[in-house]
Amino acid sequence: MIEFEKRGIPTTSWTADGFIMDAMRSAENFGMTTFSISTMPLPFTNQSPEGIDAMVDGSIDQVVSGLTEPTTRSGFEEEGFAIVSDPVLTFEGSDLLDAMDAFNRTFIDWKWSDGLPLVPPTVERVERMLQGTILPPQEVIARLEPGFGIATVEKIAANAVMAGCSPDHLPIVITAVQCIAEPQIYLRNKAMSTGPHAPLIVVNGPIAKEIGLNSGVCALGPGAVSHANTVIGRALRLVMMNVGFTYPGVSDMDTIGSPIKYSMCVAENEAESPWEPYHVAKGFRADESTVTVHFVYGTCELHDFENWKAEELAHNFASAACNLCQVPTGKWLLGRRADPRYHTEEKEHHFMMICPEHAQAFHNSGWDRKRLQEEMFRLSRMSFKDLIGNKEHKGFEIAHPELQWLWDSPDTMLPIVETPDCFEIAVVGGAAGRGAFFWGGGGPITKAVQM
Amino acid sequence: MATLEVVNPQATTVIEAVAPAPRLDTMRGKTIGLYWNMKSGGDTALERTAKLLEERYPDTEFKQYIGSVGAVIRHATDEDIEQVVDECDAVVGTTSD
Repeated sequence: MIEFEKRGIPTTSWTADGFIMDAMRSAENFGMTTFSISTMPLPFTNQSPEGIDAMVDGSIDQVVSGLTEPTTRSGFEEEGFAIVSDPVLTFEGSDLLDAMDAFNRTFIDWKWSDGLPLVPPTVERVERMLQGTILPPQEVIARLEPGFGIATVEKIAANAVMAGCSPDHLPIVITAVQCIAEPQIYLRNKAMSTGPHAPLIVVNGPIAKEIGLNSGVCALGPGAVSHANTVIGRALRLVMMNVGFTYPGVSDMDTIGSPIKYSMCVAENEAESPWEPYHVAKGFRADESTVTVHFVYGTCELHDFENWKAEELAHNFASAACNLCQVPTGKWLLGRRADPRYHTEEKEHHFMMICPEHAQAFHNSGWDRKRLQEEMFRLSRMSFKDLIGNKEHKGFEIAHPELQWLWDSPDTMLPIVETPDCFEIAVVGGAAGRGAFFWGGGGPITKAVQM
Repeated sequence: MATLEVVNPQATTVIEAVAPAPRLDTMRGKTIGLYWNMKSGGDTALERTAKLLEERYPDTEFKQYIGSVGAVIRHATDEDIEQVVDECDAVVGTTSD
């Protein structure tokens, strides 16, 4: 709508009451401090036609005034979080612990906290953190959406300190920020959505062992064995908030939220994998260290204690992929996630963490990663009738006019993703027949770690 | 009394200001674009919007638009935007929740 306004066309956008701050903040991010919205009590989604008509009837005057009268509504009146430009902030208390409590209370009030106690990013601690990279403090790593915050090395380091990172973790955090800033990730969508998009970080190469990342038992936490994993994942979330301005309830409108949004980081268990490492399959050298970030919606187990033949394991694993309540399931029927600003399009990918025992079983059956991808694609199928049931029919007509014959053959079985490579596969975990399946939103980005 | 000095972890931003478009002097005789981002119910809301506006301003014209790219949410490309700008005087959108 802002592109129309820029070109001299007045607009007004229907916006639910609960999303007013979100809409105004979005407009501000693109340079408009006043923006016309016409409000209704609830989102139009999941409403009956009669309910929608009633909401429009009650607010139609706003549409007329929004197009004919000067726009006065300003988002800054209802910002929802603090914007503070002072480079150094001071907190006082009867002793240092008391001052630390004041710091944590203030950051919660300002919405700068993830809700857990933060480590104060003192000048000394941030300077020490910066020793973890050869990059200069003021080097700009990215401009992070949705707020277009300038991600300098120093700002990333300050958030890494708050998360509990040590200096040797910083290169991974910086690389993760580079990953989520790639246009292909479409961070604005992942950050602001009503869905629980959580960045999953997967580390490959020698750096994982060097800094003590856990790739085995309880790799995704919690616990001391996953300390490095936990604080690195947490640092990325804090960077998304305080650098990208992804503040929950303001510009992150996740309907329920998710515990996996606090932190999610693992290393691949390369030592116990019978396959080439994940990053090698992506075109990197085995001795390179890489960070992969994949935004995912949620997870379920890949549990199977009974089978040792690849066909049987894959058959069971495919049942995890076939979940209608997950957004990416059959989403290709509506097209691809796209960002016209960068001319990007994304297929929906899923991430599978295969435990070493299952990976060995596949290997013993002669299956490599590519074969498992192909079989998952072949086996993960659902009927058109089921897949289209929770999707906008008009979107299917626009995206796939050549497939409209499916309305006459509703029992036709269709793949839930577009191609076999939409199943990302890494080996993670300890000794038991239990892996993890993550329903993904879009695809992953992998980058080499720069020290 | 103890003092704790911390580095501000919040980023600065550089945003180019955009002025709102001039508003219409009247709704009468105008062409209104109805832009739907494909989120469910938005089409119904825009249809109702057009009906109510047409009752008030019978000489108003309406044109419907959907973004050319995307999936659950569809987005307007530069070409889509230019088309709307060429054909309409104002736009009502269902682009939020």
